[in-house]
Amino acid sequence: MSLTGSKRRASGGHIDRSRPISFTWNGKKMQGFEGDSLASALIANGVGIVGRSFKYHRPRGFMALGAEDPNAMVSVRDAHGYTPSIRAGQMPLAEGMEVRSVTGWPSASFDIGALAGLGKPFFGAGFYYKTMMWPNWSWFEPIVRRATGFGRPDGSKESRAAQHQYQAVDVLVVGAGPAGLAAAQGLIGSGLSVLVAEQEQRPGGSLLWEEAEIDGKPGIAWAQDIAKEIKATPGMQILTSTLVAAAYDTNIFTLVQSVIDARGIAAERHITLHAKQVILASGAVERPLLFADNDRPGVMLAGAVRRLIRDYGVAPCKQLVVKTSNDSGWLTAFAAQDAGIKVVAILDTRPRAEAVHLAQAEALGIPVVFEAAITAMKAGRQLRGLTVSTPSGVRKFACDGLAVAGGWTPLIHLACHRGAKPVWNDALQMFTVPELPQGWQASGGVTGCTSLTEALGQSLQAAAKSSQRQAKATPLVKAPAFGGVSLIRRPSGVPANKVWIDHQNDVKLSDVEIAVRENYVSVEHLKRYTTLGMGTDQGRTSNVNGLAMLAHLTGREISEVGITTFRPMVSAIRMGTIAGGHEGDLIAPRRYLPADAVHRRLGADFEDFGWQRPDWYHRPDASDRDTAVALEMAAVRSDVGIFDGSSLGKVEVTGPDAAAFLARFYVSDMATLKPGSVRYSVMLNEEGVIYDDGVVACLGPNHYLAGPTSGHAEAVAAHFERWRQTEWPSSRVAVGNVTSNWCSIAVAGPRARHILAVLNPDFDISPAAFKHMQVREGSWQGIPLRVARVSFTGELQFEISVPSRYAEALYETLLKGDAAGAPRAIGMEAWLRLRLEKGYIHLGSDTNGRTGPTEVGMAALVAKRQDDFIGKRSLTLPFALSDEREQLVGLVAVSGKIEAGARVLAPGCTAPPCKTEGYVTSGCDSPTLGHPIGLALIERGFARQGEEVTLYSNGRTSRARITSPVFYDPENERLRQ
Amino acid sequence: MILLRCPYCREMRSEAELTWGGEAGIMRPADPAIASDTEWTEYLFMRTNTKGWLQEQWCCSAGCGQWFKVERHTVSHQIRQILRFDEAFSDVTIAQEGAA
Repeated sequence: MSLTGSKRRASGGHIDRSRPISFTWNGKKMQGFEGDSLASALIANGVGIVGRSFKYHRPRGFMALGAEDPNAMVSVRDAHGYTPSIRAGQMPLAEGMEVRSVTGWPSASFDIGALAGLGKPFFGAGFYYKTMMWPNWSWFEPIVRRATGFGRPDGSKESRAAQHQYQAVDVLVVGAGPAGLAAAQGLIGSGLSVLVAEQEQRPGGSLLWEEAEIDGKPGIAWAQDIAKEIKATPGMQILTSTLVAAAYDTNIFTLVQSVIDARGIAAERHITLHAKQVILASGAVERPLLFADNDRPGVMLAGAVRRLIRDYGVAPCKQLVVKTSNDSGWLTAFAAQDAGIKVVAILDTRPRAEAVHLAQAEALGIPVVFEAAITAMKAGRQLRGLTVSTPSGVRKFACDGLAVAGGWTPLIHLACHRGAKPVWNDALQMFTVPELPQGWQASGGVTGCTSLTEALGQSLQAAAKSSQRQAKATPLVKAPAFGGVSLIRRPSGVPANKVWIDHQNDVKLSDVEIAVRENYVSVEHLKRYTTLGMGTDQGRTSNVNGLAMLAHLTGREISEVGITTFRPMVSAIRMGTIAGGHEGDLIAPRRYLPADAVHRRLGADFEDFGWQRPDWYHRPDASDRDTAVALEMAAVRSDVGIFDGSSLGKVEVTGPDAAAFLARFYVSDMATLKPGSVRYSVMLNEEGVIYDDGVVACLGPNHYLAGPTSGHAEAVAAHFERWRQTEWPSSRVAVGNVTSNWCSIAVAGPRARHILAVLNPDFDISPAAFKHMQVREGSWQGIPLRVARVSFTGELQFEISVPSRYAEALYETLLKGDAAGAPRAIGMEAWLRLRLEKGYIHLGSDTNGRTGPTEVGMAALVAKRQDDFIGKRSLTLPFALSDEREQLVGLVAVSGKIEAGARVLAPGCTAPPCKTEGYVTSGCDSPTLGHPIGLALIERGFARQGEEVTLYSNGRTSRARITSPVFYDPENERLRQ
Repeated sequence: MILLRCPYCREMRSEAELTWGGEAGIMRPADPAIASDTEWTEYLFMRTNTKGWLQEQWCCSAGCGQWFKVERHTVSHQIRQILRFDEAFSDVTIAQEGAA
């Protein structure tokens, strides 16, 4: 197919010649018409080489016009955004599009990388595995990444909208070709809601280019009439430019609808569709044939040539040879001759053909050669001719185009997503799915059917079954049949390294031979070893030919060889469409503390802990984090600090059985908790692993308030509720998560009581009347007030709660302080370091999925319990009693730092690789103690007090001594003040 | 996507609004203290992992919050029974299991 000049015919096709569209190809101005795809417009403008192949940079032309084309990957910028790689046949042409080739440098038609023809042996089957082993893959990766791939993202933000929609219909019809349309027509009047999805921009499918007469009308007119009828029927819709990309369990589908305007793809809709029934009418794609040099630009599938002529009004070449294994090639020859292309010869691999075709060829004066094999192609940048071996000797033909027809491959992907098994049909030479998922039917090309009459009949039967009605009468059809297909055979008399199977990934017959020689004889191994079918075309044109060669080389039948797994999506969809509106601030909702505005005013630097929480506060004396954290800690240790702990979980448990109920969850016996008292404990899962920790307050008889950790509030409430409903349904207990109803502001430090006194509570807060681990309820200016005297910091500490809407007022009031001064605002970092100095565990940091109560030093508590609690039985299983378990200990630095995550090396080891015996769970420089401290989970840690260990983190080692986890005030004197 | 009608609030809900709770009918030993290690670990870890009809626990977590029981086919997701938690599954066998 020549490189220059217009190939557009004066008439024909479904394009609108009165509406020209301008676009550019690699900067060169070109013109197409409304109704063109990018592929048809480029071919009409004489573009013959559209890209380069993946490994060898061989020139590649258009082989097909749809999702099956392995070659025509381009980048497109339209008015709405940039698409780094898309198949030209899948993109409708629009005004002003800038289209570029994505492979080849400096250009697709002149590619320096083609000199990597030099590199041919380098890229054989398994080349990644064999070649890039030494010194290691990372040495090769940058080179390989640069040389491969299709298109580059340019970093620009699309203005194209991405929307997510949800729909439910009675029947989904996949495909609006003749089969899909007939099925939909059969459903008209049934009252069922129906969605017909068609990936092309026009309905009609093969009727757009095949010769057919249905009910006395041209096939395409019949199709257009039905499409109109569907649109006019309430409850029925037909979506064009809509790909059914994936099928999931329970008949959920992902559809991607491109909303196209005059300037490109304006929006894409990601539709999640639930369908009660499915009629799969996805059709089939044509396969190429295997012969020498079959990857040359100018070689095109026979059906695609017919489509170019009849759907797009494009004559792709002047002199055409047809090579076919079935009647498809003959139809192309006649269509081409009719369009003014000289058909040089029909080469049929079969020994004979239909008499009616033979007669027509004779009448048109087209030479016919049976049992013909192409042994060589004459081609530089364009096809010039070919050499054919025939039973009567070698012949040469001059041509600039070659149409090939090797049979059909049904598009069974969606059924296979649902687990339907592809079965090889030897008579049809194709994989079909005889057993469909529940609620599915299929009609047309996807079933292997090649007769239009039969396809329409299947569709109307399917529609009848879906709507539980009598089938409508099959319309009268006049259309040529495609006849039988000859077997896929290894081309004889040609070297295997000249026969291309996968044109995108450059997999040749010789690569399959290598794979077989090296015993990669399973299809899944063949695929990965040779990359056969791993391209963006998902091997639509190459898989079956590859399997046939594998079967041939291993002496098996194709039915024994089988086919690789089909996985979603059936064709590439944009990441942006999947993301939809979920970007930036809309990725996930944020949770704000009720006094958020005050923290912002105070100059908090926020961190996301599930809630937006102040990490530290900017102050005139603290402009950086380290300084601020040290000053905040010092304030708590020597004066007083104020900390917003409103995110702390609050779960109320009430009812006559509340005490017994709670006792079943905690390691400590909550049933003995007296009104006004608070107890700290841990909660296990049934496997005996610590699930949560916190305090439980007894507010009164039958009234408890559990305080799970901030990140666990919802989960703990749900955990209580599940056990209540499913295990102890007769318990008279109610569980309520009130986390968001109450704010909780902590004041901590030697002067904490003075700050609490500012509220002037209506209960006695003197040390004698309000002791550590007690709770009081009262009121503050008529507002309900709860104060718990508990400590996370190791200092005197009160947690003050009022209903959340008064959070700002409470915080501001406390922040003003008293005559002696104001408390300092404390962020999360200082708060966590204070608790680390005190050796209190931080759930999830200092515990992991294996840590039980024994490992954090609560064995005595467990031993004291006579009755059962969740997880207790698991604590006496052999693995729980093993002395190899990691136990929580303190670490004090001997030299260097103590960093969370550092590995504790086994004794005698100085650097990895070596055995490790645990890791640092928390670590920091302690300003109070003046040296680094940490907590660590270390094997047999309790028995190793005083031992020195080596820590390893990020390439550095340090030394630390194992100690008690409590570094600060081990006698708890400060808590009793 | 699995669609279930909650037997408590009677709303039809999709999988995303529900929480799956594993196999139903897992009996916690009445007195864990006297359960053998084998009995206890059977209770903790051993499940039938059925390919076929399975009795399961589900929670109407985005709705009324109630736990209920479902008999579901793990291959086809066909639903055969939906019960309140205190109801017992009836011993149905559908003749044409293949229709699942």
